[in-house]
Amino acid sequence: MKKRTQLILAVAIIAIIAVSIAAYYYLTVPPERTIKIGLVASLTGPGSAEGADMQRAAILAVEEINAAGGVYVSEYGRNLTVTLEIGDDKTKPADGVIAVEELIKSKNVDVLVGGLSSSVTLASQVPAIDNNVPFVITGASTPQVTRRTDKNTSYMFHYCTIIDDYSETIVKFLNHTVRPTLIDEGRMDPERNLRLAMLVRNDAYGIGCYDTTVRFINDLGLPIEIVEYQKFEPGATDFTTQLTLIQAAKPDAVYHAGLTAESSNLVKQGLQNVGLKTIYIAVEVCQTPQFYEILGSWGDYQILESKFGSKAASYSDAVDTYIANYMQRWKDAQGNPIIPGMMGADTYDAIYLICKAIENAGTLDKAKIRDEIENIEMDQMLIMMKNGMIWFDQNHEIDPISFIEQMTWNSTTSQLTTYIVYPDSLKQRDFELPPDYENEYS
Amino acid sequence: MPLEISLSTLVQIVIWGLINGCIYVLLASGLNLIFGVMKVVNFAHGEFMILGGYVSYWVSIYAGLNPYFSIFVSIGVIGIVGVLTERVCFRRVLGTSKLNEIVLSLGLIYVLQNAMSVLWTDKERQISSPFEFITVHFEIININMRLDLLIVIGVTVLIMAGFYILIKRTKIGRAIRATSQNRSAAMLMGINVEYMDMFSFGLGTALAATAGTLLAILFPALYPQAGAMPALKAFTIIVLGGLGSTIGAIVGGLAYGLAESSAIAILGGTWRDAIAFAILILVLVIRPTGLFGEKEA
Repeated sequence: MKKRTQLILAVAIIAIIAVSIAAYYYLTVPPERTIKIGLVASLTGPGSAEGADMQRAAILAVEEINAAGGVYVSEYGRNLTVTLEIGDDKTKPADGVIAVEELIKSKNVDVLVGGLSSSVTLASQVPAIDNNVPFVITGASTPQVTRRTDKNTSYMFHYCTIIDDYSETIVKFLNHTVRPTLIDEGRMDPERNLRLAMLVRNDAYGIGCYDTTVRFINDLGLPIEIVEYQKFEPGATDFTTQLTLIQAAKPDAVYHAGLTAESSNLVKQGLQNVGLKTIYIAVEVCQTPQFYEILGSWGDYQILESKFGSKAASYSDAVDTYIANYMQRWKDAQGNPIIPGMMGADTYDAIYLICKAIENAGTLDKAKIRDEIENIEMDQMLIMMKNGMIWFDQNHEIDPISFIEQMTWNSTTSQLTTYIVYPDSLKQRDFELPPDYENEYS
Repeated sequence: MPLEISLSTLVQIVIWGLINGCIYVLLASGLNLIFGVMKVVNFAHGEFMILGGYVSYWVSIYAGLNPYFSIFVSIGVIGIVGVLTERVCFRRVLGTSKLNEIVLSLGLIYVLQNAMSVLWTDKERQISSPFEFITVHFEIININMRLDLLIVIGVTVLIMAGFYILIKRTKIGRAIRATSQNRSAAMLMGINVEYMDMFSFGLGTALAATAGTLLAILFPALYPQAGAMPALKAFTIIVLGGLGSTIGAIVGGLAYGLAESSAIAILGGTWRDAIAFAILILVLVIRPTGLFGEKEA
């Protein structure tokens, strides 16, 4: 073959390859745009029980939305499906930052949802703040996530109860219900204050619970005094010494602020190891299947502040439907029914409100989505709101109704169930003292 | 809060300290034995403890065995795992460089933790005791104690008595002590020091397995990453008691348990783990050889 022929052949081959590549890029349909929601959850570490619940609820919400045809986004002139990207913060601040950065930079999420532990979320929200990604926080209870002054939190929204709400509900319950019960049953002198002990996690959440309790007792002028205040490190498994000191203070009730595993174990150890037979009040963070599972019969007569009663008798059609769908969905997937938890309920609602905001915005532009979340107004879903509507106030916080549940052990089914005992407007039965209850009058 | 502690409260705080001390004694004795014989710092000792707890957890669930009897299965299984670890891993690097030994044991931490995560997930678990609802009342000091707490003390005493007799009164115990004191002289006296390494490592990890089982009966402390802090405390204890001293590990473990519960009572729960470092610094500054350690010639 002559050199000239070889040259022509080589040029022809290069030309065919170049044309083929160009044709590929011009003719191939670009990947379909979806709405990418990034879920930040603690799938490992002390918050894994709550994180797993958030993950299950988020998957259910996305499946329901996609099954209904997705979300109409006018900029695209059609309905877009929703995809869920999940980041594990490992219940550690540093890992939370890594998880959020990966969701933003590698997965290119449009909006973030989730965030469990207060200390973890205060760290993990920073990349979202710096990159102007809307973040609907559904787990961390410190109000600082939307009120911090060192960062611009205009893209942060708080779709869960804050620490102030826990403490306000609990001190009001103690004053309105527990104190009169103790007086009626001759367990307390009407002239003295109710003696409250607190055992809290040594972080923004636990210490915040203590600070707000003191504040509400003082602000409302309630006849309650804190007779013992103890802390434990996050992830602790042994609470016996702290509980022994609390026992020595002879409290009428113990308010404890931990994550699921911590709170359920401290109640068990208090009753089982230390013999501190009192009323233990947990906060809604513990509204998870694992809480009831660890407690077992030790949970009989114990108290949980909440805003989502997965074990309570029926109080809302929306909640009943959600519980049935959730249990069926995860029974199908994992072989056994799993009871939904509260943080999952927050996350489920938040995904619906995010999709509504995107539909209202008609675009996936983050600034416009932020504006629509800020101005959202939609009917309440699983979490009951004081005016029946989901909306955010000037602090980007919601206004939920929280209540107090009392657990009851059913020895036939070997299950704990709960009843709402406060406030009166939601009450399903009267609060009862545990039969073996002891305080300074015992 | 003002610190006003009644006698019964004080007694209870001491009891909690001693019970935790029992776990530390078992853990530190195993670590001490391995260090004494092989001069190897096994940073993965806490992982062997947790692995032992998981074995007992499985045996008690799937074989329905009383968890206190499952300790024997756990001792056997983890003892064999320990022997294999020494034979396959540590023997290869022994005497090469301290850095190799450290890197190897640090690597083992991650291998074991990930293996446990795969097998048992990261969920916290506790071994269910058949005596869960039984308490014993002590009239003199007016306290109720869960029966399991007394059993844990009893099991620790029995295991440590057996360990002490093995080390002090048997032929193999003498060989272990000889290897620990002077490896070269022991070899010249016909002791198979490699066999002693293997046996000591297996025995040390078996003691850790016992600690893991008892810990998991008392507390929901069974999750793959749970071994790190107890291992660190065990290091503190053997420094406190004196490197290589069996009595030092026992006294150090109990003293550490008491120091820990006292720290919680006096300084607050946040001092629970910090006290380990405080003690470590104090001992290194005041008495680097520990309570029962001997000065090097």
